[in-house]
Amino acid sequence: MKFGKRLQQQIEETLPGWRDKFLSYKRLKKLVNLISSSPPPSHRHCVEAEADFVYLLNHEIDKFNAFFMEKEEDFIIKRKELQQRLQRVIDTWGPNGARPSETNCKEDMAEIRKDIVNFHGEMVLLVNYSNINYTGLAKILKKYDKRTGGLLRLLFIQKVLKQPFFTTEVVSKLIKECESTIAQVFPVDEKEIGRREPTIRVTGEGVFRNTVAALLTMQEIRSGSSTRSQFSLPPLDLSDSEFIRTLQMNSPPIPIPIL
Amino acid sequence: MEARPLSIQRSSARQLNNLGVSGPMSSSLSVLPTPLEDTYSKLPNSQQVYMEQELRTRPLAPAPHIPANSGVVGHIFSSSSGLSSDLQYSSASPHEKLPRTTSFISQSSTPIPQTSHSGLPQSSTSSHYTKESSSSWCPESLPGYVDFAANTPVQNSQMEGSSCSGAIVSEEFSKRNDWHEWADQLITDDDPLGSSWNEILADTSMTEMEPKMSYQVPKTPTSMPAHRTQVHQQLPASSTEIRTVVTPSASANNAPAKPRMRWTPELHEAFVEAVNQLGGSERATPKGVLKLMKVEGLTIYHVKSHLQKYRTARYRPDSSEGSSEKRLTPLEEISSLDLKTGIEITEALRLQMEVQKRLHEQLEIQRNLQLRIEEQGKYLQMMFEKQKSGIDMLKGSSSNQENSSTSLTKSELEGTQVDHDKKGPDTANANSTNEESSQPKELDGKQKAPETEAPENAELNVSELSSQPSKRPRTEE
Repeated sequence: MKFGKRLQQQIEETLPGWRDKFLSYKRLKKLVNLISSSPPPSHRHCVEAEADFVYLLNHEIDKFNAFFMEKEEDFIIKRKELQQRLQRVIDTWGPNGARPSETNCKEDMAEIRKDIVNFHGEMVLLVNYSNINYTGLAKILKKYDKRTGGLLRLLFIQKVLKQPFFTTEVVSKLIKECESTIAQVFPVDEKEIGRREPTIRVTGEGVFRNTVAALLTMQEIRSGSSTRSQFSLPPLDLSDSEFIRTLQMNSPPIPIPIL
Repeated sequence: MEARPLSIQRSSARQLNNLGVSGPMSSSLSVLPTPLEDTYSKLPNSQQVYMEQELRTRPLAPAPHIPANSGVVGHIFSSSSGLSSDLQYSSASPHEKLPRTTSFISQSSTPIPQTSHSGLPQSSTSSHYTKESSSSWCPESLPGYVDFAANTPVQNSQMEGSSCSGAIVSEEFSKRNDWHEWADQLITDDDPLGSSWNEILADTSMTEMEPKMSYQVPKTPTSMPAHRTQVHQQLPASSTEIRTVVTPSASANNAPAKPRMRWTPELHEAFVEAVNQLGGSERATPKGVLKLMKVEGLTIYHVKSHLQKYRTARYRPDSSEGSSEKRLTPLEEISSLDLKTGIEITEALRLQMEVQKRLHEQLEIQRNLQLRIEEQGKYLQMMFEKQKSGIDMLKGSSSNQENSSTSLTKSELEGTQVDHDKKGPDTANANSTNEESSQPKELDGKQKAPETEAPENAELNVSELSSQPSKRPRTEE
């Protein structure tokens, strides 16, 4: 139940185009309940529900794969495009220093920085998407096994681990690449981050908001459960990033007071 | 979106044509391994009849059967996942390829005993199986089949008798091997493309024999002849390696096969180069790009859609993601012309980056943890099964102990299930059962014993399953 709610939260906070691409956790749970509630397996409903369950699982995996690969493709294209854009800007205005006072240069740089950061964020959100769906699958399978005494989980998960939507290496690589690009593109930061306001309110519907939501959700999901087992993940440790905990979600749209 | 192995069960339940055409093609083939061509025309009906009566004759049993179910399921998935990129290529309409498949399967159905790379002496196994009507295998593992039972009229036809038992033989036979196969695959298989050809061959040929695999099998064997060469050529392809992931969403109902292409940065580089050579994204045509790229397995559909995306990205950078989402940063309102605000913007972006980086870090950590957890679970499961088989052998030596063995295995199974939910005790349990069964491990030939004794097929399934991962040669009693 808890995960279901968290997932729901995540879905609500997510980028609009993604809302229907997440795991249909509730539906699957209903099926598991159905299966376990009608014990005699020759009972038509039970058997039907089981078939439905497996079918739905497969269907969900297909959904994830399709969406993930599509996004991945988009990212690959976009990354190339950003690279080219960056190159053009640098060529036009010199390596970010030759004519810094040029307004257009500033504008372009700001523009491209924003785009790169958003691009980074979206990729991270995709990885988050992948992960949360995987977590959901693992949970529902565990539930299934528990309720029906079956051994579906282990085998199914092995399959899931090999699915495209879970093999996120390419996207992760792109993300890291993006981070290093940003490090080059951003001016050196002389001010300290700790100087920030105690509470930073996050608004808008954009990538940033979703990222924060994702992070907070992850923390909550992992914050302890009644059915902790060796298959459970340990609590999320964000203690080393103080300011993250100062982030607070707001409902849009309120102007953000940053400094 | 029908092509997923078990998902087809559902759709087939509703539309029998699916069943007849794309579905259990191989089941009929497994039913009548030799006179394939004769029954070819009767495929749809005979299949339904066959499965129908299978279901009728074997009532489903409760939970203990689920291992069989999951075993089969696992195999389907593992074979699909392990071989997905190669073998699920054919979402192409199976009926077009039926003739080929027929001959392919009929050829391979006999050599199966020798081609398995797992090294089991297949011939002895299959002959042993003829005695068995381990009816439990089929139905439990196919809960969805009951749907067919509901939809199709029961016909106690001449499918019974020899052909039926023949089917059973091949089912079981293949099932055992499948367990072997997927267990091996799970352990050793990393890269679908990297799987050895033997594996693919053996696996495919074995999967053909299974009616439950039939949903998927029409794709695998169908694609094998054609795709094998393709994939073969892919393997040596150096930098641009295509991972053609066939998600069953490209359903068997679509005539042109459109397996989902998984683009990589390298592939994209090649694409961009080709496009540039042809004079830019506007002037380049899919056909030209396809030719220039010279990548095996790449179809014009792939190139076409990719080109479209590429064009969109170039000319409308902000909408390249395709959706109407507004990617606002919190600073949309603030004018970017003001220098001071410019710094604010940068700071905000920095903050955003921090958060994003943190999230990514945590995701990576979480993912690694999850992988490790599953590894451990898999390992424990294997250990459990090894011990169970040891215990079964111990118990199987005397017919009196049939009941106790079955109840023992069942309780062990449940015990492990429960154990999985506890942190520590799992290892402890495993160790204790280890000690118990350390002796029986030498008794190689005893695996068959429970089989011959017990009419309760439920527990047999469990013991059968457990004996799979261990590659012990099967000997007669």
